[in-house]
Amino acid sequence: MERISEDNLFEFATFDEKESEHIAAPRYSYWKSVWRTFFKSKVTVFLSVFVIVLVAFALIQPLQSGYSPTVAPNINNADMKYLPPSAEHIFGTDNIGNEVWDVVWAGARNSIIVSFVSTAIIMVVGILVGAIWGFSKKMDKWMIEVYNVVANVPYLLLAMVLSYVLGAGLGTLIFVMTCIDWIYVAYFIRTQVMIIRDREYNMASKCLGTKTFTMIVKNILPYLVSVIVTYISREIPGLISYEVFLSYLGLGLGTNYASLGRTISQYKSFMTGYPHLFWIPVLVLAAIAISLYVVGQKLADATDPRTHR
Amino acid sequence: MSAMTNRDVLLSLKDVEISFDNGGRKKFKAVQGATFDIYKGETFALVGESGSGKTTIGRAIMRINELSNGEILFEGKRISGKLSKQEDMEVIRNIQMIFQDPAASLNERATIEYCISEGLYNFHLYQNEQDRLVKVDRALEEVGLLPEHKSRYPHEFSGGQRQRVGIARALIMEPKLVVADEPISALDVSIRAQVLNLMNKLKNEKGLTYLFIAHDLSVVRFIADRIAVIHLGRIVEIAETEELFAYPLHPYTISLLSAVPMPDPVIEKQREPIVYSETTEEKTGPDYEMREIRPGHFVYCNPEQAMEYQKAAESIKEG
Repeated sequence: MERISEDNLFEFATFDEKESEHIAAPRYSYWKSVWRTFFKSKVTVFLSVFVIVLVAFALIQPLQSGYSPTVAPNINNADMKYLPPSAEHIFGTDNIGNEVWDVVWAGARNSIIVSFVSTAIIMVVGILVGAIWGFSKKMDKWMIEVYNVVANVPYLLLAMVLSYVLGAGLGTLIFVMTCIDWIYVAYFIRTQVMIIRDREYNMASKCLGTKTFTMIVKNILPYLVSVIVTYISREIPGLISYEVFLSYLGLGLGTNYASLGRTISQYKSFMTGYPHLFWIPVLVLAAIAISLYVVGQKLADATDPRTHR
Repeated sequence: MSAMTNRDVLLSLKDVEISFDNGGRKKFKAVQGATFDIYKGETFALVGESGSGKTTIGRAIMRINELSNGEILFEGKRISGKLSKQEDMEVIRNIQMIFQDPAASLNERATIEYCISEGLYNFHLYQNEQDRLVKVDRALEEVGLLPEHKSRYPHEFSGGQRQRVGIARALIMEPKLVVADEPISALDVSIRAQVLNLMNKLKNEKGLTYLFIAHDLSVVRFIADRIAVIHLGRIVEIAETEELFAYPLHPYTISLLSAVPMPDPVIEKQREPIVYSETTEEKTGPDYEMREIRPGHFVYCNPEQAMEYQKAAESIKEG
């Protein structure tokens, strides 16, 4: 047996200073974590697929059906009027013999297009203006007055005046929806920017000579992803409903455009006699708006890094 | 400054006053009459209690806070007030800052690579991508971090590691002066020495000059060459480190030194802190100014107090 002495009983442990700096935790990536959190829930996955299919269908179906509110091929065919939903006529037919199925999807298509385009414009303009607004104290002084004026213009009145002056149409409607809403987004972003503008890491960036624009892109906006996604998730379904509301009042799309709002407005008189005519467009609207809203909220939650892991 | 007239002045504050508008009619003066020089290659410490204005001075040098009076000179050129774009960039490159809270001073949504390269990007201090990465690797290595940390995010690091990222980010600019605003007060006690030693090592390697802002006298004694004691926005005493600890003259300095805890429990039990109160000590007046009591040792006082301090210094010398 080997003799145990102090010489071989102990040996020097090697200490590597570099080793202690090693980080064992797996690499973190913001967007990967966002998607992992988002797809964790089965309900969310189901709803996302549902939303995508619904929106895609609404965008494609009218192209295939070729429905136009200005043509009514069956208007003189009494047999084609007021048919209840069946295998042949999925949503039934209306008072002038049109397929409700085609009417509803063509309307949904316009609502979705208007809402998506308007939201894109509102967000881009709002974020750009808001970010600069939040940074510049000089701009804040007069911008707050602009906000006070623009935000207090009666929304509906403006919509009425514009639709009469410019003529009802897709472009007018988008203009009506965006011309005031952007300032709410800008104001919201301005407040958010002001909250994080003076944080120490921004001061550090300033001490490193970073320009304001780089700071907005690199230091501010990444922190606002979550609140921006939340805003978008409310804005899109909100504007879909708003389009319906304006069209219902006759201020939205003109009569040569299919529109969910005007469809609901036209069918409301059949609510007692042929309830399916009224309820089907309402339910389609609800399905689109609610599922978009829920998916948006889930995405907004997932973009909040506090929910990760 | 008799003992060191031959040394180059890097930064010089002349009668600096910084005031904040607090909405009322009277502005709040956070700092008044701050005058001192920082010599090339030294570590100059600014010590004082919370709210005494030491961070405000640091930020004024970084030009985050504006001066309401006086001026700041860097290498003889005025850097306070309006500067041309080119001068501005020049000053930014030469004066860098290490921040107090490493948890708050790094961009949580950017990788370490970006955090460290930020200055390089702003000044385009690299020939190509390859060169930038080499510089980042070297900066990481200098502060004892690994190249693999480049793709990590700040929240994955410990406080000490983050502070070292903060140091690397400041030093990659190759500044002449580094303003360290309580760089270790937010750190765990066990890693404070590590960061201090690193700062000392880098200072010797790169010939840096530090303005070290702190409230902890034991830390200051370890790192600083000269100390300025600041109280309620006024610098009350400036001296070399050992001089200050051997001959504390201003009553506030004496009180501050008496508050340092002793590691020996027996002595600590008997230690009686001297309370400094402004009512007993007349604080300021028209004939008050910084007077040289001993070589290189300045105290804020009037002529009568100067005589007293001189006597006090004599008696300490005799034991």
